[in-house]
Amino acid sequence: METELYSRRSFLASSTAAGLMPTLTWADAGAPHYLSAARMPDGSHRLFGLDSHVQPVFSVPLPERGHAAALHPDRPEAVAFARRPGTFALIGDCARGLQIATLAAPAERHFYGHGAFSADGRRLFTTENAYEIGEGRIGIWAADQGYRRTGEFYSGGVGPHDMVRLPGTNILAVANGGIDTHPETGREKLNLPTMQPNLTYVTTAGELLEQVTLSPAMRLNSIRHLAVRSDALVAFGCQWQGDLRAAPSLLGTHRLGGGVRFAEHPAEDHARLEGYVGSVAFSGDGSTLCISAPRGDAAQLFDVSSMSFVAKITSQDICGIAQGPTDFVATTGFGYAGDLHKLDAFEPQNLAWDNHLVKRR
Amino acid sequence: MRYAWIFMVVLTFPGRAVALADHTVDRIVIEHVLPGYEALATATRELYTTANADCTPSFRPLRDAYHAAFDAWVMVSHLRFGPSEVDSRAFAIAFWPDPRGKTPKTLRRMLADRDPSVSDPSAFATLSVAGRGLYALERVLFDPEFSEREEEPFICKLVMAIAHDLAATSAQISSDWRDRYADQMIRAGRHGSIYRAPLEAQQEFLKALSTGLQFTSELRLGRPLGTFERPRPKRAEARLSGRSLRNVQLALVALQSLALKLSKDHPDIAAGFDAGFATAIEVSHDLDHDPVFKSVSDPQGRLKVEVLQQRIDDIRSLTQNRLGPALGVGEGFNALDGD
Repeated sequence: METELYSRRSFLASSTAAGLMPTLTWADAGAPHYLSAARMPDGSHRLFGLDSHVQPVFSVPLPERGHAAALHPDRPEAVAFARRPGTFALIGDCARGLQIATLAAPAERHFYGHGAFSADGRRLFTTENAYEIGEGRIGIWAADQGYRRTGEFYSGGVGPHDMVRLPGTNILAVANGGIDTHPETGREKLNLPTMQPNLTYVTTAGELLEQVTLSPAMRLNSIRHLAVRSDALVAFGCQWQGDLRAAPSLLGTHRLGGGVRFAEHPAEDHARLEGYVGSVAFSGDGSTLCISAPRGDAAQLFDVSSMSFVAKITSQDICGIAQGPTDFVATTGFGYAGDLHKLDAFEPQNLAWDNHLVKRR
Repeated sequence: MRYAWIFMVVLTFPGRAVALADHTVDRIVIEHVLPGYEALATATRELYTTANADCTPSFRPLRDAYHAAFDAWVMVSHLRFGPSEVDSRAFAIAFWPDPRGKTPKTLRRMLADRDPSVSDPSAFATLSVAGRGLYALERVLFDPEFSEREEEPFICKLVMAIAHDLAATSAQISSDWRDRYADQMIRAGRHGSIYRAPLEAQQEFLKALSTGLQFTSELRLGRPLGTFERPRPKRAEARLSGRSLRNVQLALVALQSLALKLSKDHPDIAAGFDAGFATAIEVSHDLDHDPVFKSVSDPQGRLKVEVLQQRIDDIRSLTQNRLGPALGVGEGFNALDGD
């Protein structure tokens, strides 16, 4: 019986890969513009596809709390990652509303909740913790072979969290947050006295190209979330692990081969962040950066060319941020979703939007 | 809605809120924090004095002094901000949990190398925190791998070095609190304080209460509990020196004192804490016969540890759902996430 099921699943996977089934595109999935996980009123979790107004078009159940998602560049396939230290990721066929594969982290590995596809969509890369040795790994999965695991390489540091692929290249930018954890002790931070985050550029073949390490005074500034502009400028949002009142700038930009620029926050607005950036995104024209601060119930906008503060928006538990039709769209833990500047234009959904709002490219 | 209303009241009458907050923060600093860290400085100084007199691991007064110092640490182990976090001082006092066994590995290496830093306090203070502090000292005093080699001069030097380092680190935290940080908190909202408002100082203590409860539930109890299929009694905190339950009980007493002071202007919440801690402490005494939670491996004994954990989680809910909003701290799904 088990064999039969297994063969059927392999058949589905291989026939899809071989193109025996009609090729589906994102249009067949109702052309969602965004994806986000959410906690439902009954405590269960789902992954939602959302339209251009950030309103639901479909949803699929998740076995546990989700975090971020990755979208296949061509096929209507979405990867929903479990929240750290989860060991599963689901691949959903968003057109048929089916689960087509499950990624199970290999022994002594767990996911961090983010991942990225290769440009041709044939490979999926996932940030992982090799927790018995406390080192970051990038897992490699063959998306064109039923998401079979094919290998892994060093992430360039400890605690790799978000990861983005530089547009048009096979280069991954990895936010190695620097914080060591072990599933045995849950989310307890084990290495604050020695932590050292970095931003690492590594090819999809595992070749390390460049590492950006912050100054000693910034050692506790965990580089956690990333956004990338069409010209490969990378923005990073940080979570400060030291005394909140001593928190340095939590938003920076970097370009491969260039230097780091940190945003300048007015003191009062900086304090409002509570040392914690939840998400970061570029506007469509690339001129503006947005960070969310769920602990400070605020989002803040910065001009990219000067890295100076432009504006702030207040909304309770705001966290998901993505590029929108005008500048940004956002989601909150109180069910609001839509244009960042008009979050109450739509009635809130009776659910809590989880951390990240991911835009389909 | 009700929580939003309470927050509004605080915002609408800033003068009154300041007056209340001032008094609340003063009391916590003066009656809870300063005496706590002072007691730790005293107990670790006495530990060093005792080690100086006789550094043999089996020496009874040395072990008693170790227990007294550990007691004093547990009473402040939730106050993890400001002076305790400078130069990773708190980690140097207490490196736990240690899922990869770094403490025994570091000590083994030091013993094999006859690490010369044991004779040089300034060098010892730069060692990995895994080889310093109370949990390292526990290994040396109570783990036969080290304690039975008491004829080796190196073991004696190691005991002295750890005790000296503990005393020096604790004295630094205590004097920083007394000379500098207490004033920052008491003068919250006034010119020159790093706390922009008294409410911010209260929120700092709220966070201390919340993380202290979480640490006690998820690590001090959660680690030995493991899962029903796979209990992990050997992961209990300070198991070698037999003080796993004692640490939970002392932590509850310390957290109770903080919770009652912090909620004194909210009588309903204070009454909830009063009842919640009384129940948890009472339930903890059902385990007095089992100081290191050995019974987690037995379904019936395990239940008692789970009940204790549940009672602590009830206090966590009260803190998060009622005290937090009363002190202007939201309970957002994403705000609480930490990722």
